Amino acid sequence: MLVALAGNPNTGKSTVFNALTGLKQHVGNWPGVTVEKKEGWMEYNGKRIKVVDLPGTYSLTSYSVEEKVARNFIIEEKPDVIVHVVDASNLERNLYLLAELLDLHPRIVVALNMFDEARRKYEIDVEKMRNLLGLPVVPMVAIKGEGIEELKREIVHGKFNPRGVEYPEDIEKRIKALEEKIREMGLEPARWLAIKTLENDAEVIKKLSDIGARNILHDAEHLRHEIEDIYGDDIESVFASVRYSFAHGLFHEVAAPINVGGANITDMIDHVVTHRYFGIPIFIAIMYLAFQFVFLVAAPFQDAIDFMFNGKDVAGGHIDGLIDISYAWMSSFMPDWLASLINHGMLRGLGAVLTFMPVIMLLFLILSFLEDSGYLARVAFLMDSVMKKMGLEGRGVIPLMLGFGCNVPAVMATRTLKDENERRLSIALNPFIPCGARIQVFAFLSYIFFPENAALVLWSLLMLSILVVFILGYVYSKTLFRGESQPFVLELPPYRMPTMKGVSVHMWEKSEGFVRKAGTIIVGAAAIIWALAALPWGVEYGGEESYIGMLASLLAPVGYALGITPEAIISLFFGFFAKEVVIDVLYVLYGSKDAILAAMTPLQAYSFMLFMLFYTPCVATLATIYNETKSLKFTLFVVVEGFIVASIFAFAAYHIGTLLGVGA
Amino acid sequence: MRLSELKPGEYAIVRDLLGKGPIHQRLLSMGILPGAVIRVVRTSPFGDPVEYEIRGFFISLRKNEASYVEVDKIIPLVSVPPGSRVRVVLVDGGVGFMRNMDSMGISPGQEITVLRGCCPMLVETARGKFSIGRGIAHRIFVR
Repeated sequence: MLVALAGNPNTGKSTVFNALTGLKQHVGNWPGVTVEKKEGWMEYNGKRIKVVDLPGTYSLTSYSVEEKVARNFIIEEKPDVIVHVVDASNLERNLYLLAELLDLHPRIVVALNMFDEARRKYEIDVEKMRNLLGLPVVPMVAIKGEGIEELKREIVHGKFNPRGVEYPEDIEKRIKALEEKIREMGLEPARWLAIKTLENDAEVIKKLSDIGARNILHDAEHLRHEIEDIYGDDIESVFASVRYSFAHGLFHEVAAPINVGGANITDMIDHVVTHRYFGIPIFIAIMYLAFQFVFLVAAPFQDAIDFMFNGKDVAGGHIDGLIDISYAWMSSFMPDWLASLINHGMLRGLGAVLTFMPVIMLLFLILSFLEDSGYLARVAFLMDSVMKKMGLEGRGVIPLMLGFGCNVPAVMATRTLKDENERRLSIALNPFIPCGARIQVFAFLSYIFFPENAALVLWSLLMLSILVVFILGYVYSKTLFRGESQPFVLELPPYRMPTMKGVSVHMWEKSEGFVRKAGTIIVGAAAIIWALAALPWGVEYGGEESYIGMLASLLAPVGYALGITPEAIISLFFGFFAKEVVIDVLYVLYGSKDAILAAMTPLQAYSFMLFMLFYTPCVATLATIYNETKSLKFTLFVVVEGFIVASIFAFAAYHIGTLLGVGA
Repeated sequence: MRLSELKPGEYAIVRDLLGKGPIHQRLLSMGILPGAVIRVVRTSPFGDPVEYEIRGFFISLRKNEASYVEVDKIIPLVSVPPGSRVRVVLVDGGVGFMRNMDSMGISPGQEITVLRGCCPMLVETARGKFSIGRGIAHRIFVR
């Protein structure tokens, strides 16, 4: 048995999904698009039933990817039952989608979610609703688990006797005429196809013309014009009004308002957080506190994981970590190079993957909280005007902000953007935002090279990155990523308390996905870096005779033009693996802090930092970019754009600085 | 006038939707179609987008999208000052509610006079004088 969950966004659909399936779920993508697909299993009386969560949509037109995915699933996979999750506190609007579903599928269970909230606004006569619709209707409060058992029962044993949407006679007549012709050709679902063809639905019309149903299209056009003439309006508006009359009529039949007006908490909060002057400062303050929280909590965990794998240098020598111990053990029975590859290459890579985990989990904790509470929609409202200039909608600010924490979850968070083109643009810009690891390196280098003005130097780098993102966004959105501008209609849902379960499921899903998908790529890259640094076998690891050293000396002229020393180039190779190791590598290659200070002028150090600010994102970010876009070409593009921008800035800074005679 | 020309706090009833394709369909599916009542809630810090209330929920529209919506400005009865004579444009509710209002002489096209302001309001219609509570006065729109 197959069950599909449909419904508007912000109706608690995923809470219902989680409640039905528990943690037995699988997250992937719908084929060919970057829309998330969730599947799970529910059990009822020993029966195992597959549940698929369709994308949240307001209607079922062919104008958005989500809507197409949802309706094509219903048509092609023919689920036995559709559960329409309805926000009962916003019943009328939600019933519009029900009108569309009724044309498409006869077996629908209506789940009246958030029934407790709805009861504060109106009394809903559930029995009457059941009778009028001829469908099972289940009042429920999914976050409290109320009504879940009844919903399961109705999915399995529900009686379906749908009344459907009543179209006015002069439309119904024409639907029937077309429906018959479509049925004669053996196409199903005939009634839905007839309605959509009349409605001028681009996808359905294309499908019909592809199979050569020219006479049907011809008839449809004729019938469409007749309807438009009768109603004196365009066909889309006519059908929308019929559906809204259905929703409006049904709503007023079953719901009796208790009280209108009065103070409402959402409005009170919005009065403050979307305030004309205070709104943006409040947003910045919230993000600042969120980051403080992330780094405060993540740091000890990261240190612990790092210590576990790599051990630690202490005053008296070195405390062995997992890598040292396992290397010592393995080299007792296998060739030295193999033991080194496994431990210094791959095991170290695994360690790096795991040290990402605390930050990723916490950033997703924050993101889920912002999203589930409803605040994210307000951020979109506040920032839309600014982000629009970079070709993004208001929500585009969130991945960019998360980038300051770590680019990996930031790239994953671009999914909050609905438009495919904007999502790619947002991913292309994200690596230019310096992540926590890079900021850490900059803080360190600024401090040793510019002890007087460390904060100023650090600020200049941050501001420069924001400027670059802004300018590139502006240019890209006008050139490479120019897309049709999508209508930006954003719902501002009532504020709701996020549930622990919803937030933790989301957090777990994302971090587990990262380890599983990006993890293998990172471990593989770690092995390659190891090979470059350790081969030919016998040379000093990462030294001048290793392949990395050779590459670095090959690149020395380029580095010279940018003011970057060969040792620094080697450190950048390792930085590709994880940016924070750049410091360690410089230390190892130069031997001491004073030696680093002696090897580079402050100007060279600044130019080096600029290069590091923009050059290729780390392997974990690239692996994530590849996973999100599934495009090698796009991933490569991100690398190339990084190197170009980095070279321009480093070159300009070094030469202008030299000309002016500063920082020598 | 266009929806984008209204100021926060003002109400309007949708007359027509201009434009074609995605914008048109998106607005329709959010319930913005002829006859719907819209309230302007607030503008964002830079004046664009603007938040609207429609059918009991809240959405944000960019000025560009809002300019596709032809509207007529209306006033909820609750904010009509005493002494004014106004014409009813819309009674927002189900069949029963509309029938009740009609029996008091309050239905689209009828003229009524507000004798006392909110709340409860006192209005004079063709059928006589009636007292109207806040909840109901919010659901009657006049011009």
